[in-house]
Amino acid sequence: MWKEIGDRERGILRPKSFTTRIKSNRIRTLQISNHKDIVSPHRASINSLQVDLTEGRYLLSGAADASAAVYDVQRATDYEGGGLIAKHKCLFVVDKQHEHGHKYAISSAIWYPVDTGLFITGSHDHHINVWDTNTTQVVMNFKMPGKVYRTAMSSLATTHMLIAAGTEDVQVRLCDIASGAFSHTLSGHRDGVMTVEWSTSSEWVLVTGGCDGAIRFWDIRRAGCFLVLDQSHSQLGRRPTIPEHSATNKALTSKSLSSGQNLNAKPRAQQRKLANGNGTKQSPVGRMPAKGSLRQRLHPGMLSSLDRATAHYGAVTGLKATEDGMYLLSAGSDSRLRLWDVESGCNTLVNFETVRLQAGKPIQLATSQDSALVFVPCMTAVKAFDVWSGNTSQTFRGHYEYVNSCWFSSQEQELYTGGNDKQILVWSPPRLIADEGDEGPAQDRDNWSD
Amino acid sequence: MDKTSEEASSKGKKRQRDQQPTDPQTNQPHHQIFSLEDNLSFTDTLVALRMMRAQFPRIDKVSIQPFILRSQLYSSVKDRTQVDRELESLRREKVVRIFKLNTGQDDHAIMFLDDYLNQMENVVKRLEEKEGDQVFKWFRTHVIDSKLEPSIEHQELYTLLSLGGMVKDGHISLLINAGLLLIDPNMYWFAIPNIGSVLKGLSQGRKEVLSFLNRRRYKEMMLASMEKKCLRFSPLDMRFHLRDLIGSGHLKTVQTSTGLLVRVSKD
Repeated sequence: MWKEIGDRERGILRPKSFTTRIKSNRIRTLQISNHKDIVSPHRASINSLQVDLTEGRYLLSGAADASAAVYDVQRATDYEGGGLIAKHKCLFVVDKQHEHGHKYAISSAIWYPVDTGLFITGSHDHHINVWDTNTTQVVMNFKMPGKVYRTAMSSLATTHMLIAAGTEDVQVRLCDIASGAFSHTLSGHRDGVMTVEWSTSSEWVLVTGGCDGAIRFWDIRRAGCFLVLDQSHSQLGRRPTIPEHSATNKALTSKSLSSGQNLNAKPRAQQRKLANGNGTKQSPVGRMPAKGSLRQRLHPGMLSSLDRATAHYGAVTGLKATEDGMYLLSAGSDSRLRLWDVESGCNTLVNFETVRLQAGKPIQLATSQDSALVFVPCMTAVKAFDVWSGNTSQTFRGHYEYVNSCWFSSQEQELYTGGNDKQILVWSPPRLIADEGDEGPAQDRDNWSD
Repeated sequence: MDKTSEEASSKGKKRQRDQQPTDPQTNQPHHQIFSLEDNLSFTDTLVALRMMRAQFPRIDKVSIQPFILRSQLYSSVKDRTQVDRELESLRREKVVRIFKLNTGQDDHAIMFLDDYLNQMENVVKRLEEKEGDQVFKWFRTHVIDSKLEPSIEHQELYTLLSLGGMVKDGHISLLINAGLLLIDPNMYWFAIPNIGSVLKGLSQGRKEVLSFLNRRRYKEMMLASMEKKCLRFSPLDMRFHLRDLIGSGHLKTVQTSTGLLVRVSKD
């Protein structure tokens, strides 16, 4: 450690690699925190956790008893154990007793990405509430057609403030805080939508995972989705290999892009020889003659709804995009975790050794900074996998029941996990007791006299 | 999952034998030439596939070509990502075919393409359909050759079969009756014909092995003694099931001073 500081001083070690090295060393030693504890006021399972994106200071949790609470993770409310253990009680709780509070479980609680003045909660009572943090009042309310499973807001957005909501209805709705109305309805999924995530590279791209097993990418400026991930399209490695000749290339790309459009042209192409790479179908709408076809004239954007490719054999329960926006991790109820290359839309075939994953509920995955590790709640433990090789790097066992969500704070290198046992556990690198400074607390208790 | 498999100590000797695709004659349950302990791990997916194909148990009642389960591969080769990628390249080169099984979540069976075609031939011969003969030929030349995924959509199947001739709905029913295709809403899964009883034996055997170990006091047993046990409900041998259960994570192996120990994993 001292040698590294010396190297940094002399300029042998670059500052960024110095910080990355220290951070990864700390992450490798993550264990249940011996100096920090979060006291959760919830009386039911915790469904969602998020630390705010602006300061990294406030943790927002949403639970199944319709309560949402905020904790300050940097300043403790009081100390125990002779000043060694910091207890973080909640700063405030909003629950069923609140006049505009939710009636049923809160499935998702997120901060407004720009500042901590607002937070948004989505609940099984079909409502999405936008709360003002300082006054703890509901400022806006959206009614959804079904139970809300997930809400998300883009952290990159500068021109819109849309809340994407995934519900048990097949359509994904985007709610606008500025106008108080629904701005978009995205159709294409065949079953409820369990997870929604905004892309980390573009403020216009939304990724949704449905109970039908499909993962769709939507550009909200256009109609329909532009990419449906198919688990049988795979590439061997992080990036696809450069093809030897262009015909193969055309076949591969046209296959993934026009697989939705091909289905329409198929009945017409029955009598023709099938040539996969013979140029993409440019205007699929024009190719549909009125020759007794029972198919309606579909808008080009809606052709993707015919694409039935699935990313998982069961429902998609969790999605997480890497920070550079190039890869997407998805967890499914078939107990598989897959890593997708967003650019090519292919499965990179990295095998994560998950024996079982929770199937009925959406789970929240977390990635460490620079996305080298992914933290996945696997039943009662949280496992950290190396993203590129799929090896289990650490297992965190501490919860008594299933873990639903985890959030990694890269500022502090701490992992917060919440589960069905109503606890929020903090996992942090161990702090040596001597760091506290004074040797005072360790008194000699035998030295007493009347 | 702390699985510590050991490399086959006499790997050099074993290498020569995997060039032979035929089953060694003396491969009976009680006199194992290849004990599982020596053969638990391989370096390469293709080597593992060939070895396991050679060690496939001979079942008397049903004539079935050897197939390997994906979980067996995971238990044999250390790096699972490497297994997935190598399987993918083998599949693209049309050396093997992958089928999705309906016994439990995410079960896949891998069969060498030649074995699959042989199996298909055997089944078709036994069917003796006059009218439907062509369907099987069309299926073999057009569909199997070009569609490498484990499933196919109705439209695509129709189109590919039509490359051979006029397709009627009856033809597709013939394929389903032969066991080559399994119907699912809107799509078909490719299937290995005549495999039904073996799959039943597979699930029953899995349950039997797990319940046997669970009944023991410490839920563990030495691998060497486990191998010698005979399974009552499964035509497949103990080695097949052990590899499968270790690969899917239900059992784990622990290295001890007297050899490998098999234990039920709690997760």
